[in-house]
Amino acid sequence: MHRNLPQNKEALLKSYTTRLKEDVKSMLENFEEIIKLAKGENDSQLNRMTQIEQDTFEMQVRAANIVRAGESLMKLVSDIKQYLILNDFPSVNEAITQNSKLFRTKQQECDQKLMSLRDDIAADLYDLEDEYFTSIYK
Amino acid sequence: MANSVNISVEAPIENQIQEITYDGQEIYQAPLSMSENLARLAQKIDFSKTEDEFCNIKKEGESSLDVKSEEDKEPGYQSSLWPWDSVRNKLRNALTEVCVLADVLSIAKEKRYMVLDPIQAEQIESRPMVQVYGRKKALSAAGAVLLNGVERLRASETMRMTRNMPDFHIDLLRLRQNWRLKKVSNTIVGDLSYRTAGSKFSQTGVFEVTKAPEEQIAQAMSMNATGPAPSALRVTVPPELQGVAFISVLCQKEQEDVVTATLSSSALNCPGTLPGEGAELHWQQKLEAAQNVLFCKELFARLAAEAVQLDASIPHMVVGNQIMATVLPGIQLLIGLCHNNGQNNNNPEGVKSEGSGNKSEHDHVLEHSLHQLLRAVHHSNTHHPFPHPASGPLGPSKRRSLAGPMAADRYELLEMSKEQSLLEQIIQQAQHFFMRRRSEYVLDTIAKEVKDPLIVSHWNALNSPTQSCVKINIMAYGYDAVCRTSLVVHVGEKTLKCICRDGKVRHLSYELQELRDLIYCQIYQHQMTAVQAVGRCMGWQLLASSSHLGSGPVEPLGNASSCLLASPNGDRMIAIRCEPSVGIQVFIAQSPRKDFFVSELVQDKKWENLGGAFKEVKLEKMEGKNFLNKMELLMACLSSPL
Repeated sequence: MHRNLPQNKEALLKSYTTRLKEDVKSMLENFEEIIKLAKGENDSQLNRMTQIEQDTFEMQVRAANIVRAGESLMKLVSDIKQYLILNDFPSVNEAITQNSKLFRTKQQECDQKLMSLRDDIAADLYDLEDEYFTSIYK
Repeated sequence: MANSVNISVEAPIENQIQEITYDGQEIYQAPLSMSENLARLAQKIDFSKTEDEFCNIKKEGESSLDVKSEEDKEPGYQSSLWPWDSVRNKLRNALTEVCVLADVLSIAKEKRYMVLDPIQAEQIESRPMVQVYGRKKALSAAGAVLLNGVERLRASETMRMTRNMPDFHIDLLRLRQNWRLKKVSNTIVGDLSYRTAGSKFSQTGVFEVTKAPEEQIAQAMSMNATGPAPSALRVTVPPELQGVAFISVLCQKEQEDVVTATLSSSALNCPGTLPGEGAELHWQQKLEAAQNVLFCKELFARLAAEAVQLDASIPHMVVGNQIMATVLPGIQLLIGLCHNNGQNNNNPEGVKSEGSGNKSEHDHVLEHSLHQLLRAVHHSNTHHPFPHPASGPLGPSKRRSLAGPMAADRYELLEMSKEQSLLEQIIQQAQHFFMRRRSEYVLDTIAKEVKDPLIVSHWNALNSPTQSCVKINIMAYGYDAVCRTSLVVHVGEKTLKCICRDGKVRHLSYELQELRDLIYCQIYQHQMTAVQAVGRCMGWQLLASSSHLGSGPVEPLGNASSCLLASPNGDRMIAIRCEPSVGIQVFIAQSPRKDFFVSELVQDKKWENLGGAFKEVKLEKMEGKNFLNKMELLMACLSSPL
């Protein structure tokens, strides 16, 4: 299915792939980091309470990162949908042909109806004209 | 036991051999004295080591101790110092420390410069629990953040699901299927112009597609729960394309002066707003309205340009958003662009009252024709006649491409390049419209005025915007089989073409009177021929007839005609004279004249057969439905033997 896409389109599609990978990676990494923090193996120079506070904040930031990556994935899905809708020319062409077919048949129908209507009216008009002009009341 | 062997038992060499002389004699070192031994061992003591460590080292084994002693021995022997030197140094250090300790203790005791406090030993025990609690708290905070995010996603999803919220992408897909869209950086931009359909109008029809805020959708949904679901899309149309527009076409009698004309015409009743303007319109309607505005603008711009370029005998005027063109003398065609973009809402009531004073109404047919004409132009812009050249520009017409092979000259090429502009075409249509209306009016009034021969006109159902056709039958009631005059009038743009019964073709101008006169002439001609036909049926003889009588007063239109009929046995005569200005006069004469008296000049009786003087018949007092009926009765009466 890979046709000769223009350069920027190709780049855009690549960027979608990288965004997907990055987001998933970020989710995984952040999760791992949270688990590591929960283990608490690292010894540092800091005071214990400070260390705990720092860990708390770090975990929160990492959790928020996971959420952000999730939302970014949703955005990616939406972007891909949008890209597909805007650039899916075969389906657009199909819609156009379908529409034009629909309108053509409608036009034919209307034409036919108008024609028959015109014929009827013309016949009636002839009779009415006859009647009107031969009557005394004008 | 007698043969016992002497066994020499030697004590092991306890002393180290200092030297072996050449004769094999070993010279032993003198064993260390007790004091020396003590000094040597004392030298080996490492005072820096604690008791435990010292023991540990001892347990490790003698060998390491031996190696160490060997190493330590070197400085012992090498240093020519006093052997107790190291011990003394250590002791001195110890003394110094003890002194320092004693000083510290004494200072601490004073409690003036230093206080000794006990060290808290519990810290080590509480450490794991604090950490566990801390981590638990941290994890729960992180989990809350995650849950929050999940909750937000789920909430938006469920809201869309349960409340039937419209999906942006589905709407976008529908929009894409109907309109041209593309993505420019972060925005979705659409195009509603007729460019792809062949328009060459410079104004762009760009619109922007955005996502409608969810609160607004929810609000709209709560407002009308029964109505159609609101769209998740929002379409932003440039302000110059907003609102409603249409091309108004008015045909009106020429005003006294231009000023009043423009005044009254500027008060074209502008269209109201679209239904439900207050609420958000659906994008499809909004875009269609905008497209219509664009189309009307293009149409008007084109017409205005043509109006300026065309050099008509009476120049067309373009004033503001109005074009004035003279269709026929005294009749103007006003083409105006009405655009109500909902911003300049000048009071519609005043406009309406003034508009109603204006008798001429907006002509929907001509407006439709204008639309059709522009669409035809668009179509021809994109649909070039075949064959398409493999190289070279598309566009020259078929005739033009044939001009080369056919060796067309300059005149022919100039003729080809002439194209009818939209304005010319619409003026022609308006002219035809007026011609048709006028002919209709003339025919109807004549039919009303003239009762005796019936005038029946049939309008042809097949016609074009600039051509129509009417067939007129002139006949008398009850005598339509005997005689009937039919003629056909082709109504064109500025002229009428009349094809009469005798095959003569007459071209008439746009003046009403000409048609009127023609029809009147035809009526009298019809009467004359009909009388002759009735006479023939009755067995009467046509003695003479003339359609262009030279006698009598000069007629304002046409000529007087007459005919003379004789009864079957020839004793009666009827003379009919028809003058368009007077009407029909009928005279009768009797052959054996009743009032024949023998005079001195005419003495013979035979002269009474010569026929007498004609006497006029008072037609209006006769019985009979119409002229022919009267004539039939008259003939019947006269042909019966007295």
